[in-house]
Amino acid sequence: MGIGYVVGVLGGAILAHAAYATIQYRAVLKITEEEFSRPPMDVMMELLLGLALCMWAGLAVPAKFLSVLPHSEENRIVSFPANLDFMIFNHRGRALPSDSDLKLKT
Amino acid sequence: MAAAGGVSTDDVPILQAENLTSNVKSVYYSRTFLSIIGGVVAGIWGFTGLMGFVFYFLIMMVASIGLLAKSKFSVQAYFDSWTRISIEGVFGGLMSFVLFWTFAYDIVHIF
Repeated sequence: MGIGYVVGVLGGAILAHAAYATIQYRAVLKITEEEFSRPPMDVMMELLLGLALCMWAGLAVPAKFLSVLPHSEENRIVSFPANLDFMIFNHRGRALPSDSDLKLKT
Repeated sequence: MAAAGGVSTDDVPILQAENLTSNVKSVYYSRTFLSIIGGVVAGIWGFTGLMGFVFYFLIMMVASIGLLAKSKFSVQAYFDSWTRISIEGVFGGLMSFVLFWTFAYDIVHIF
């Protein structure tokens, strides 16, 4: 989780530096009275690098995907709760279809 | 009762609702963040008009591929349909994109 934040902050810093370089480039264009059509090549590379880092951070920082299948390995009950008096087996879950082969796991 | 015995074939699939909600929220956070970053990049680059929207949908396509890779290319294990991971949330971030696009463009190119 920490390294995703670091990569995101680094990407943001690279984008800020690219913005500053574009501002300087616009100032030079004003002096030489030329039209702006595209940032210089190194600024474009900097923008794409910052975008790639922020995209990786945007995918890595939010929560991991959890399995939605009820019989998946991630959703197995591997330990009983501390107070067994609150375990209830006689409830409306009996109406759900049950796959008895999957219950007997070693 | 019909459901008291074995597995019924015409049942809807049973999903873990808490995990599905967590996954959808994670997709929403990723798309919102990438909309903001895409707007900043489009503004600094100097995109105007339709080029900005083309850039936005390009970023959302790459984000969909990234989210698909995050789910290890097995959509059925983490979501209830493939549109959850590839299409949902794309148009929701368009307003954030336009906001940060115009804001970054004004800072870099106008002010």
